[in-house]
Amino acid sequence: MTAVFRTAQDAPAVAGASAHRLLDGSMTGDATGQMTPPAATAPQQDSPPVVRLAGIGKSFGPTRANHQVDLVVARGQVLGLVGGNGAGKSTLMRILCGVHRADEGTLAIDGVDIDPALFDTALAQAGGVRMVHQELSLCDNLSVAENFFLESPEAAGTRPFWRRVYRAQAKAALDAVFPDHGISVDAPVGHLQIGQRQMVEIARAVVAPRVRLIILDEPTSSLGPERSRQLRAFIRTQTARGISFIFISHKLQEVVDIADHVLVMRNGRSVWHGACADATVADLVQAMGGPTESAMRGRRAGRAAVAAGAPAIVRLSGALVAPLGHDLVLRAGEVVGLAGLEGSGQRDLLHRLHGRGDNDVRRTGTASFVSGDRQKEGVFPLWSVLSNIALGRLEGRRPLGIVSDRAERAAARAAAERLKLDPDRFDSPILDLSGGNQQKALVARALVGNAGTVLFDDPTRGVDVAAKEDFYTVIAEVARAGRLVVWHSTEDVEFLECDRVLVFSEGRIVRELAGAEITEPAIVDASFTRPGIDARPAGAAASGPAERLVELAPFASLAFVFAMMAWVNPLTVSMFGLELLLGPAIALVLVALAQMFVVGGSEIDLGVGAFAGLVNVVSATLLVDSPLLGVATLAFGVLAYGLIGATIQLRRIPAIVVTLGAAFIWIGIGYTLQPTPGGSSPPWLTAAFSWYLGEVPATLVLIAVAGLAALAIDRSPLGVVLRGFGNNAPAMTLGGWSPLRYAVIRYMIAGLFAVAAGLSLTAINTASDINAGAPFTLISVASVVMGGCALLGGLISPLGVVAGALTLALVGALLGALGVSSDYNAAVQGCLLLAMLMLRALADRRRPS
Amino acid sequence: MTGKALSLNPTAWLERNRWVWAALGVLVLWAILSVTTGRFTLHSLSGVAVSASFLVIVALGQTLVVTTGRGNIDLSIASVMTLSAYASIVVTAGADAGLPLALLTVLGIGLVTGLVNALLVIVFRIPAIIATLATGYILATGTLVANRWAAGFGVSPLLKTLAAGRVEGVPVMLVIALLAVLAVGFLLQRTVYGRRLSAVGQNERAAALAGVNTGRIVACAFLASSTLAALAGMLLGAYVGGAFLEMGQPYLLQSLGAVVLGGSLIFGGSSTALGTLFGSLLLVLIVTTMQIAGLPPGTQDIVQGFVVIGVLALAGGRARGRRGAARAPIPAAGKVAQG
Repeated sequence: MTAVFRTAQDAPAVAGASAHRLLDGSMTGDATGQMTPPAATAPQQDSPPVVRLAGIGKSFGPTRANHQVDLVVARGQVLGLVGGNGAGKSTLMRILCGVHRADEGTLAIDGVDIDPALFDTALAQAGGVRMVHQELSLCDNLSVAENFFLESPEAAGTRPFWRRVYRAQAKAALDAVFPDHGISVDAPVGHLQIGQRQMVEIARAVVAPRVRLIILDEPTSSLGPERSRQLRAFIRTQTARGISFIFISHKLQEVVDIADHVLVMRNGRSVWHGACADATVADLVQAMGGPTESAMRGRRAGRAAVAAGAPAIVRLSGALVAPLGHDLVLRAGEVVGLAGLEGSGQRDLLHRLHGRGDNDVRRTGTASFVSGDRQKEGVFPLWSVLSNIALGRLEGRRPLGIVSDRAERAAARAAAERLKLDPDRFDSPILDLSGGNQQKALVARALVGNAGTVLFDDPTRGVDVAAKEDFYTVIAEVARAGRLVVWHSTEDVEFLECDRVLVFSEGRIVRELAGAEITEPAIVDASFTRPGIDARPAGAAASGPAERLVELAPFASLAFVFAMMAWVNPLTVSMFGLELLLGPAIALVLVALAQMFVVGGSEIDLGVGAFAGLVNVVSATLLVDSPLLGVATLAFGVLAYGLIGATIQLRRIPAIVVTLGAAFIWIGIGYTLQPTPGGSSPPWLTAAFSWYLGEVPATLVLIAVAGLAALAIDRSPLGVVLRGFGNNAPAMTLGGWSPLRYAVIRYMIAGLFAVAAGLSLTAINTASDINAGAPFTLISVASVVMGGCALLGGLISPLGVVAGALTLALVGALLGALGVSSDYNAAVQGCLLLAMLMLRALADRRRPS
Repeated sequence: MTGKALSLNPTAWLERNRWVWAALGVLVLWAILSVTTGRFTLHSLSGVAVSASFLVIVALGQTLVVTTGRGNIDLSIASVMTLSAYASIVVTAGADAGLPLALLTVLGIGLVTGLVNALLVIVFRIPAIIATLATGYILATGTLVANRWAAGFGVSPLLKTLAAGRVEGVPVMLVIALLAVLAVGFLLQRTVYGRRLSAVGQNERAAALAGVNTGRIVACAFLASSTLAALAGMLLGAYVGGAFLEMGQPYLLQSLGAVVLGGSLIFGGSSTALGTLFGSLLLVLIVTTMQIAGLPPGTQDIVQGFVVIGVLALAGGRARGRRGAARAPIPAAGKVAQG
């Protein structure tokens, strides 16, 4: 008892109460003896704890995720945090990191009380709290070193070779934590294997400056035993330096090995807190509650054995089962578990089973899928519970068939009753239900259909203990009704419910366990079996040249079109010819660069052409008549772009619609300023575009300058942050970067390039027309695509975009030289864009396989 | 269904029937116009209704595309409308005899464009905006060519009756538009397709895992959108008595505006045909108001742009909490599976 008080001194009532409950329960007797504390375990008793949470409570709708939780971590201490799926560990840690705001409770960092209402990710970072999240939070498109920069940007400063600092830092950190890691710090994270990414993520957090507490959420889920050992050794060296850790893991053996203290959570409450020396793995399991081995075994024993002659439903063969040396046949009425380290191919098999099947995976009959990732793969958030369930009945019906509320209700009621889901809640929105009940609704959806196979993908994730029990009963019932259940779980203990377990490693099934062979140690043991095949053949190496080819494509096509042009008209190759052909392309280059920055954030600006047209009008009218007003108007235009970025970000509305609406506003303003084409270019502006650098005309020099300016922005720390947002905005936000600020910056950069484009239009045309910019919108998108940028964001290439824009400008000129009417320009540009995108899609499709 | 919904609290009912706001807007604006101008009568409202009818038909197609979610929008409708108007005028050459062939041509334009859009979006995974923007450009070239062919402005009399005629004072066009609203409304609310469409729009991944053939659902929406745009273009050509370049242009933003004003969610999954009807009426009424007030055309563009952005900015936050999760990028699990 005293252990609880001594380590959590300031929260006696609750911790005491839960300890009582524990003692009243199963741990009475032997536990009392064990829990008498060695008082000396908490080091540095006199310095204030690194963090202290007291009475933390948090609800998500009807779900009570945390209730009256206390947590104290002393300097140099390792706190093990354990609990089943859905026990509330992740919520508690997210509160500690400032991601979620606690509904009640107090929070102190380093002895300083902090108002929970003000606590956010930036404050947590400032307080030295870093978290390695379970969902990996690296940006795939950035290199390992650049990801290190995102974690601790301070060292970059404004120096030109800032990458060098992070390259060295990344290498040093990886060497320190994982000797012989074999990771290149210049490799894009997307090219690394899952285990390597986890290593990068851990190393990144531990070198963060001023870090005092590192939270590791399932850090070893994808690491082998050797890497896990290296990590724990490293943690020991760090605690000696006074750094504290919170170590969250399902692997209780590791927790017992590394932690000084352990906090056990169940159903959102802390149920046990004590020195680790007092706890054994068995005690922890007991305290966590949830499924116990004996209960699960009992349930399986209560199920009738699978009949030998049960119809075969799934046959697995080929490379997938090569390590086993024989095909696998899964039969109706069976519960088959898919085990292994996370990401070893279990999910992949589930999805192949759900699809049409292939040579290695054959399935008869239909299959339905129940995912534990309810938000992303399960619920339809706008619908009621009933509609969510009833969708399962639509399979195989004609599209124009009529749906009947009454028939749906009857069918759903039957399924819900089997699942102990209250039919009175059918009309509530699905999101008003707790995680466990949402999951039941999803299972009910599978039950109202008639699929012969039900695939479960980690279905008990984030589900409370009681709902889990219901759930296991249902799985047994589904199997008893003659369906095949294939069940992927991340909690090894759940496999004790299965008739058979297939253990995966590196994408292959390496072991088949049946009946009494199914034990947790056997599963863990088997998951480290090497399948004996090099799972990554030439894949990584082969991607290098192919990618370089893609990078070179824009320049190659520019050269090709240029050669064609030179062939049609030899004058092209003279400086005069170049000026004539490429000079006017400067506006297009600038608009394309503006579009590129927006595309880098995985959005598209449909108003950029119209905006350039408006700048054209403003600079040919206002800027001539009253320069001050003209400049102010243009500055206001750039601000308006920032405002567009802010609107899109704050209100979470699609950029396309906002920028389309903005396009009409720009055109409207342009018409109002100047109803018919006209105006003139200010003399200074004309002069700015008509000088020569030696032989080279200004326009060509300026095109180069624009490309280099965009390149400089992209390679700068700011550019890295912008690309990070384009790739993984949630992770950036978790890392303390403000999405609003960078959305505004991104759009203002685009606005500046678009202003430059409009000015160049005025200088070159020496007049203005509000419609002059309109065609640029499509061509800018085409240039960006031709330049090798990904429309999904995060991958931009300024020089490629310049080449793409010049290519498109030359294509127009080439058509003219060949005597094709300019009427066809739009069609040719549209076709080119589509052809590029289709080629890209085909190339992408070939790559993953 | 309505009875049950009414029995719940009024805010929940309003949340589910967001079209009421647009309907309210129409009534208020009409009342204001009647009072201030003194000459705004039921008859003049029916004039507004006729102009709105063309928009309604286009916007219903846009509604279906928007419902498919992921920010899908059909930007090719403007060119489809213009090209169809030209095609029907060239083919009919002012005679009813050519009408069947013209109808076939116009339907052909709609179906082929829709098929190409669907192919690009579904098979080649090109974002809908880009795909439809590009097909729109390609069709724009078609209108340039057609513009040189189209000699006269002959409109078939039957088509003219459909587009501009009245029966017992009721515009035929309005009846056509209302029938279309009824059909699309039924499709969305009562059929298997409507359910699946809503499911795909809310959570495409979950819909696919629940056994919905998402590709086919999305393809049908694109087909319907361009076909409706093509028919609207043909009727509009007959109404204005000819075809001209850019005649479809205003319908691009207006069709989106009507969908947004009608309370359909721009991220998909929840739309009503009734909302699109009232959204179209409201938008046309706003434009009419500006014309009555004598505002220059430039200002009308500005106001329409602000209306669309403003309504979205106001509505965006409402569905935010719920959409947040679905908008997050593909989970790490997807990447894990390949590793």
